[in-house]
Amino acid sequence: METITIKDTIRQVLESILNHNNFEMHDELTAKDVDGWDSLSHMMIITKIEEAFNIKFKLRDLNKLKNMGSLVSVIQSKL
Amino acid sequence: MNLLDNLQQSINSNLNRNAFCINNTFYTYKQLAEVVSNIRISIKKSCNPKETNIGLITNDDIYTYASIIALWLEGKAYIPLNPDFPTDRNLTVIKQAYINSVLDSSEKTIFTQFNSIRTLNLEDSEFNLSPNTVTKETLAYIFFTSGTTGTPKGVPITFGNLSSFIEAQWALNYKITYEDRCLQMFELTFDLSVVSYLAPLLKGACVYTIPKDEIKYSYIFELMEDHQLTYSLMVPSILHYLRPYFDEINCPSMKFSLFCGEALPLDVTEEWSKCIPNATIANVYGPTECTIYCMDYTYKRGEKNKTHNGILTIGKDMINTSTIIVDDDNNEVDIGKPGELCLSGKQLTTGYWENEEKNKKVFFYKNHEGTNTRFYRTGDLCCADEDGDVLYLGRVDFQAKIQGFRVELSEIEYHAKATLNKLNVVALAFTNNIQNTEIGLVIESNPIDTKLLFEYFNDKLPKYMIPTQIKFIESFPLNSNGKTDRNKLTQLFA
Repeated sequence: METITIKDTIRQVLESILNHNNFEMHDELTAKDVDGWDSLSHMMIITKIEEAFNIKFKLRDLNKLKNMGSLVSVIQSKL
Repeated sequence: MNLLDNLQQSINSNLNRNAFCINNTFYTYKQLAEVVSNIRISIKKSCNPKETNIGLITNDDIYTYASIIALWLEGKAYIPLNPDFPTDRNLTVIKQAYINSVLDSSEKTIFTQFNSIRTLNLEDSEFNLSPNTVTKETLAYIFFTSGTTGTPKGVPITFGNLSSFIEAQWALNYKITYEDRCLQMFELTFDLSVVSYLAPLLKGACVYTIPKDEIKYSYIFELMEDHQLTYSLMVPSILHYLRPYFDEINCPSMKFSLFCGEALPLDVTEEWSKCIPNATIANVYGPTECTIYCMDYTYKRGEKNKTHNGILTIGKDMINTSTIIVDDDNNEVDIGKPGELCLSGKQLTTGYWENEEKNKKVFFYKNHEGTNTRFYRTGDLCCADEDGDVLYLGRVDFQAKIQGFRVELSEIEYHAKATLNKLNVVALAFTNNIQNTEIGLVIESNPIDTKLLFEYFNDKLPKYMIPTQIKFIESFPLNSNGKTDRNKLTQLFA
């Protein structure tokens, strides 16, 4: 799957959970930069992303998700 | 005070061993001692000798931990201030505890309006770990917890309390040696952090902390696996987060796995025991008021464990605590009868910080085994069995009165969990728009069909105990102590 398609799906997930689109999908984007992306919504975002791509993260994957770029590449490695 | 002498001795005899692993950097006891010595000089220079309560900005770095030890060796108490908490709350604490000076390792000083003592990158000074004179009555720390009226209430703990806790901790025989690698997962504003750094430091072991920007449960897993942790104290909520990944976890190095701070369900514990095949698992219990924890139960592998509504017993009092279970008039109840758990002994706080009203409510004197003894009402509903093991039934204030009937919310949770196949649930009492109490149930899941659940409830529970509203939430919110935030969940029904 192309990076741009992956990012678009992630964007939809974020919008649906956070109820806003005040963020730009660049590779350096981190949870801190996005309003409402806290430890609670993080769990929900992770679960939704797993569903959207029909993948399952390993525990170890979760620590690698430092920013949007790493999220995209971890997803890519599982498709 | 022996505790500080022992701490000094432990640091001196383990200088070349690792004391901390913070964000993948190791610090030896020698490095720790150097930072402690430097901070002591700064404290001496800029604090009035009469100042006893010192604020501490709780960062996750060596300077913050060294600050605690420096303050103790100077005979002063620390009051943790979490820089991520609302400023108003921190200012209330500072005002209540008459704090003038704040130790701060942040790049940028947090509170410029106070005597801010920088602890980052100080000049090197002479090694000095000799403690000043402290007595049993000297304060070691004051932790502020949320009060029912909205103003935080302070729990002062003396060196006498803390020494008694450490003595009781060693008596449990969950042995720590200089070879151990121990988890410290708690915010420094939560008193479970104290045992998590102090017990290892007293034995020359290494403390592994969690950087603030990491996801706690997955980071804990990596520490366990990459550093082969041998000792951990966690809140049960972490297990609920890890549960979907249990099949990925195998940590034979773990020797002791302790749980505290929340009810520990037996079924999760059994599954967890397979992830840590060589560990002793224990359920410890206690409020901040009785210094960290004061009761203990060792989980029995492959044998029957005592439970109530699926919750593991909290066992028996530790050596410096003595417990009774009483009714509303402070009379002890019979074996097997529910009542409020009350604690006494050397770990018990002298009382809330300048809060006589609250003290009158929760502390009382009673003749116990021939001595007039001071007790603290925990607000925890418990009963004791014939062996003296205490079963936790729920919070007194989690108990709701519905149409005049007393309802134990944990019982509803127990029955819901029994049909929902491992989903986590919380039952809550809330006040509806006509000021009646109703029971709500929150299920940690996407919306699911609840027809079977209600059929089961109808089979098991009297009508008044069956929840009237159900909400779904994909993940339970946690409060700053890492426990399920029941207040936030209650707001779902507002």
